[in-house]
Amino acid sequence: MADTSRTVLMMGNPNVGKSALFNRLTGGDAVVSNYPGTTVDYTKGVLIENGQEYEVIDAPGTYSLEARDAAEDVAVRLISENPGATVLVVLDATRVERGLYLALEVIERGCPVIIALNMIDAARERQITVDTRVLQRILGVPVVPTSAVSGEGARDLAGMLRKAQKVDIETVRARADGQFDTPEQSGGCTGCGGC
Amino acid sequence: MALPVQERWDLVDIIARKTVAAGAYRQNLGDVLGDLTVRPLTGIPVAFAVLYAFWSIFSSFAGALVTDGFMVKVFDSHWLPWLQGAWSDPASIHYFLFVGDPLAENCFEAFGMLTSGLFVAIGVVLPAIIIFYLMMTVLEDSGYLPRLAVLMDTVFHRIGLHGYAIVPVILGLGCNTPAVTATRVLETRKQRFIMMTLLAIFIPCGAQLGVMLEVIPDAVGWVMLFLLIGFGIFGFILDRIIPGSNPEILIDVPPYHWPLWENVTKKLMNRTKSFLKDAVPFVLFGVLVVNVLYLAGIIGALADLFEPLFVTWFGVPKETVGPLVAAFLRKDLAVAQLSAIAMTPYQMITAVVLVSIYFPCVATFVVMLREGWKELAAAVAVLVATVFIYGGLIHAVGILMGVA
Amino acid sequence: MNRNSSMFTLYTGLLGLVTLAFGLADILVWAGASPGFSIGILEIAGGDFFRWAWGGAILVFGGLFMLGSLRGRGTMEQFGKIVLGAAMIWIIAGTDIFARLCESIPAGEEAPEFFNSVAGFVGGFAPPYSPAILLLPFTLGIVYFLFNGRFDEI
Repeated sequence: MADTSRTVLMMGNPNVGKSALFNRLTGGDAVVSNYPGTTVDYTKGVLIENGQEYEVIDAPGTYSLEARDAAEDVAVRLISENPGATVLVVLDATRVERGLYLALEVIERGCPVIIALNMIDAARERQITVDTRVLQRILGVPVVPTSAVSGEGARDLAGMLRKAQKVDIETVRARADGQFDTPEQSGGCTGCGGC
Repeated sequence: MALPVQERWDLVDIIARKTVAAGAYRQNLGDVLGDLTVRPLTGIPVAFAVLYAFWSIFSSFAGALVTDGFMVKVFDSHWLPWLQGAWSDPASIHYFLFVGDPLAENCFEAFGMLTSGLFVAIGVVLPAIIIFYLMMTVLEDSGYLPRLAVLMDTVFHRIGLHGYAIVPVILGLGCNTPAVTATRVLETRKQRFIMMTLLAIFIPCGAQLGVMLEVIPDAVGWVMLFLLIGFGIFGFILDRIIPGSNPEILIDVPPYHWPLWENVTKKLMNRTKSFLKDAVPFVLFGVLVVNVLYLAGIIGALADLFEPLFVTWFGVPKETVGPLVAAFLRKDLAVAQLSAIAMTPYQMITAVVLVSIYFPCVATFVVMLREGWKELAAAVAVLVATVFIYGGLIHAVGILMGVA
Repeated sequence: MNRNSSMFTLYTGLLGLVTLAFGLADILVWAGASPGFSIGILEIAGGDFFRWAWGGAILVFGGLFMLGSLRGRGTMEQFGKIVLGAAMIWIIAGTDIFARLCESIPAGEEAPEFFNSVAGFVGGFAPPYSPAILLLPFTLGIVYFLFNGRFDEI
């Protein structure tokens, strides 16, 4: 199997703006619409960030890693076929809970994960605030607020790709219960991006 | 190291509670409209209005403005006479293949590859495709499509599909190839098979709609009605005879957005480009192949062979048999060819419906093959049976109503 | 309820009634009650099923939506119904105007040139008009409320 460490696989629920974000990152032209299930096949593109070339794959939307239909099946197959790939989980900031389920599943698989909190503008408009700092500390992976429509955060996201983290689900659970084993400063990198 | 599903949801709950705060939110107009357009009492009239707008704009732009306003003039009074004069030797084979009838006065009746083929592809179908894709993109990007899916859910469940099947149907009205791929949003193989088969048979693509609108504007409504009824009947039958389940699905309805101009133009450009690249060569090549077959006498022989079937079973005049046989290879032009033959309006409707439910274009076959050859073989079998049964049924209805 | 809002209610009610009546008239003329109806700048040709029966039904629903908004208290949902009713008028009027536009740009089948003359083009927009186009100016009141966010006060 080819080296997949420089592959970025975009996963997320349907209609959270994966394709729009993909187009922002790679300048590609994946079809973007406002209905779930627009992408039924994957699209590949290239992103060059800091001299580093990434292959970005835009997967069809899926609610979980147990495929329900042929389009979700494509997404699940992609994650199995690219075991070393960084998984960019795209969440809809207006309904974080739904996407988190998939994000946790991906984390449990042991993939390096980075999270894009997309549609952040829509969330602001709806008076929904997501505390990215806390989310980042609990999950232990970088969380970048983005808006694929306006392009907000896309640059930051590209810069953070190399900081994607593998995390143990048990430590996530512990942190979610409020047990932060070590003080923030001396602990392992939580991918806060502060370094 | 995977968590059990319930524990994962619990963890999601905990994390969400710690990170997400929803402020006081006031429903805005967009939310209210989003809700009103999905409730049957208000949503169904709106759906009818959207359909009305769709067809009205389609026929004004593609029919009145581009094709009748400009293309007919360009092709009939400039291109055709010039080509007929400039191409040497009207009696030769290459003249017949590329220019067609030396006496033809319009591009529909010349039947050469560079006359009828080019006119249909560029003059009739291209404008139809462009305006169709423009409107479809607006429907897609605004977020109206999933609402239509919710409204259609009850209807589609009767034919073994769920509301989301409206997405491939609408895509299929533009072009069947992306529609076949879009059936992946359906859950079971049964549903995908039903949808693909119905798409290939009963959903006319933008090219066919454009030609119908141009050649038989008065009968389009009837043709569409027959196709719609056929879609329902055969969907119902397929649902009964094909094993498999038809699960419920939750349709995720996104809020309305204003379509982004940038995205609309980009999608329109890409889709138009892929039409020019994928479909136009097929149209031109189809015309050429049919002309060769005419010359070789194959169409004539097939027409003689099938004449009893077509005349007695479908009730269409015998002159239509040649064009109907040729329609296997070039559906679009067949409608134009039929319009030149004298027959009753009902026979015309029957013939056009037959052309529409015939084999889809080569490109559709290719994508269906990619989704699985067994399905394709089964779909073709269903298709042959459907043409035969439904064609006879329409004839029977005509006899009963006394119009056939 | 202040004065302003009762004015708006009256306005919507009247507009809804007229829209409903025009929609029914479209359908009746199509159904053969009249061979085509023309008075002043108003014309209902009524020949074509799609334009007059189907389009008329849409106006009927537009009128019903607006009338339906009159029931109950002033809420966002009521305003939504009014906008939806107006949208039905916009759809019919918009497609009517678009059809005129598309027909008056080209010169016509017989003429040798491609584009219509300026006079011919403008002439394509001369009266008489369909009922939906005549209703169009009267929906401006709703547009005014829409863009001023005044529906808070209803």
